[in-house]
This record gives sequence, C-alpha cells and structure tokens, in this order.
Amino acid sequence: MKKNKLILVFALLSLPFTWAQAQDGTKQAAIKVEGEVTHPLQLSPADLAKMRRVEVRAADRDGKEHHYSGVPLSDILQQAGVTMGPQLRGENMAKYLLVKSADGYEVLFSLPELDSTYSDRVIILADQVDGSPLPANKGPFRIVVPGEKKPARWIWQVTTLSVRFAKE
Amino acid sequence: MGSRLFIFFLGVATICAMPRIPGIHPAGEPYELVYPSYFGNRTNIPADNPLTREGVYLGRLLFYEPRLSANNTISCENCHQQRLAFTDGKPFSQGIDSILTTRSSMSLTNLLWVRHFFWDGRVSSLETQMITPLSAPHEMGQSPERSAEKLRQSRLYPALFRSAFGSDSITGDRIVKAIAQFERTLISANSRYDRYLRGQLQPDSAEARGMALFMRNPSPERSIRGANCEHCHGSPKFFLDQFHNNGLDSIPTDPGRETLTGLAADRGRFRVPTLRNIALTAPYMHDGRFRTCFPFCGC
Repeated sequence: MKKNKLILVFALLSLPFTWAQAQDGTKQAAIKVEGEVTHPLQLSPADLAKMRRVEVRAADRDGKEHHYSGVPLSDILQQAGVTMGPQLRGENMAKYLLVKSADGYEVLFSLPELDSTYSDRVIILADQVDGSPLPANKGPFRIVVPGEKKPARWIWQVTTLSVRFAKE
Repeated sequence: MGSRLFIFFLGVATICAMPRIPGIHPAGEPYELVYPSYFGNRTNIPADNPLTREGVYLGRLLFYEPRLSANNTISCENCHQQRLAFTDGKPFSQGIDSILTTRSSMSLTNLLWVRHFFWDGRVSSLETQMITPLSAPHEMGQSPERSAEKLRQSRLYPALFRSAFGSDSITGDRIVKAIAQFERTLISANSRYDRYLRGQLQPDSAEARGMALFMRNPSPERSIRGANCEHCHGSPKFFLDQFHNNGLDSIPTDPGRETLTGLAADRGRFRVPTLRNIALTAPYMHDGRFRTCFPFCGC
C-alpha cells in the first residue's frame, strides 16, 4: 500500500515534465540505418556522442575552411553490420549508400569511398562545426566530404542511411 | 559425409531464401508508357500492380464513376478535372457534403515519378494515397469495399474486371489498383519547353530570358541576376520530389510535414509540386492563397 502511494506521488510529480514535453510537440532527430545491414539502427544524438569521434578540416560553400567533428560514416556502417573492410569485395562491390535528408534530397556514395582500406579520405556524419552544434537549418547531422570540390554531397538534416544493392 | 551435409544445408538455405513472388496479373496486355528519356526511369510502380491496357481502361471508367461516392454524385473527376490539368480551380474542394477539404486539390500529371504523395508526402504509393479521398467522410465518403459491393450489381463492370485482373471478382483492392494504373498514364511531356529540349524549337527572346532567370543562381558580385527557381523545381519534370518551407508564413497555420515527422525542422514544409501546366492549376500553394502566378514570381 505504502509502495503504491509512493508510485502515485512520483507519477504526480513527473506530470509537469511529461506535459512540458508534450507541449513542445517536437521529436528529437535521429539517424536510421537500414537496408543491407545485419543490425538496423536508430541512432540518437546521445548514441552518436558515445562513438569514436574525429575532426576534419574542410571548406564549405563559403570557401572558408572549418573544423567539423562527428563520427566516420564507416564506423556507423560497421556497427550496423554492413559489408565493410575485408568483406568489401565480390558482389558487395555493387552496394551503395543512399543518404536521405528531411527535405527529400538524396545523395549516393559507393561503399569503397567510405572504407579506410580503399581510401584515406574520412567522410563523416558531423554534428559540430568549429566547436558548436550545427545550426538548425543544417543540423543536427550533416555529411562532410573533405576535399570534394563541389559540396553537393554535404547533405544536411540527414535522417536516413540506406545501404542497397544496385539491381540491374 | 561432410560434403553431403553441406549440400543438405545449402538446399535448406536455398528453400528458406526463396523470394516471395509478387502477384502477377494473369490477364491483360502490358501497357506501354511513352515518355521522354530526359524524364528518367525512376518511376514508381508497385511490383503487384503492373500496368495493362485493360487495367488502364477500367481505371479510366472508375475515375469518372460516381458510384464510388456515398451518395452517387461525385467521382474522382470532381476535384481532378482534365481541363484544369486535373485540379479543380478552387482553394479547397467540396466532396459529398458542404465541409471543405483542408488543403488544395493537387494536379495528377506525371505522378508516375512521384514517390511521396499528398502535400505532406505522408504515403509512398498512389494505391495507399487513394484510400483517403475515396473514404474520407467529407470527400467521396465510401470505402473501396463498399464501392465494390455496388459495382458487383452493375452489368458493365464484372466483364471489365475479368479482362483486367483475370476473374470477375470485384474488390476494393482491384478498384484502387485500376485507378492507380490509369493515373500513372497521365503524362505531360509535350510543351513548348519539351520541343525546345528535343531541339525542335528556338525560344523567343522573352522565353530565353525567363529560362535564364529560372535556372540561374543570383550572383550580385558579378552582376548576375537569378531567381534560382530550379533549385526546387529542377529537372525537366520541374519538381524534385522534395519538401520545402517557402517562407511565406513566419508562423505557419498548417504545420505541413511536421505533423508527420514531429520534427521542428519540418514545420511549414510541403511537397514542391511540378510547374508543368502551371497556367491551368490556379489557385496556388497548399491552401490556394494565390489566384495568379504573380505573387511568387515577384512581378
């Protein structure tokens, strides 16, 4: 009985918090990893914060170099069980990664572009620029491709990483 | 022994990995879709609803069939009239009663390439999309299943369903599939611009200036004027199947795509529709607020 009362008190105390969350009405953005994966993932900002973080220097459309930090795409794909590293051969060479934005924009990478056994370039899912979170219109997650002359694949407001087989 | 076991396992694995074969229509002659190569082939046709000539024919009749509405008064055509590029010329549409829709009726041209339907892109197939206007109480107000019951009583339809789907069975699912087949044939690809793309026409000077403005990014430091309309209405199809907030409202009364995703970044975002047949599809925007093109062209 006493226990029940305690639960009731806790429930009543937590009501304003639940209400405040409902009032806000907005969800937190998350990254979905799907398709040719052994472990489909739904990564929250907190999940990504726990992963290996790297910093890359790259020039955005403004032509100025910035420091972007985030998680290498290859690490995320490996965590989802995508055929990277030693498995990236044979028919797996016909797979691609399609990155999708909240606004419907989509860009494609081949898997070897993202794999350190093929390329030294580290393409990241960035959540910070020059030490601050990405601005709302670009964030919370944006792909940064160092060294790419035209930043059209620096897709912002990323929602989904979809690994697929090219079917022809 | 080991190799035998392996072969046995391989056999089991093969059986388990057999893909499910999607439903193929037993009847009907394939319908040949004709469109320009510059539209690309990223078409949206579900594996279980390939187009047949008989399916498209039936779908066209059903599109204009008032028995699909609760009181037998309206058909799909009510809000999607061919003479208006399959829109209805109104900000909001009236169905079987006096309660209007909450968003403006969209054009049905070139849906073959659309992958997100409704103004907020909440469904990914025409077959799913269609359930709403057919069933919504203030639109046609009748489930496809109820429509099927009504059509079963008709003399006309059983034979048409047989030729389209291989049996007399009239179901809600078949009604939806046939209408979707018809809608996928509504291809608009023979404008003056298409003739220009095919090298058959030279634009006049006003058209050429308009095209340059439409396609170009502004670059004031180099004295280049540009409206960059192409950023959202790019490709020869004049849409990119994307969602944007065009900034007309600082506080949008209709949250648009946010309703679907719950993300603040999606507030006031709507699907960018094609600009093909734009002269016929007034009034404009999801709420039909503009009667002419001028407000958003800035002229």
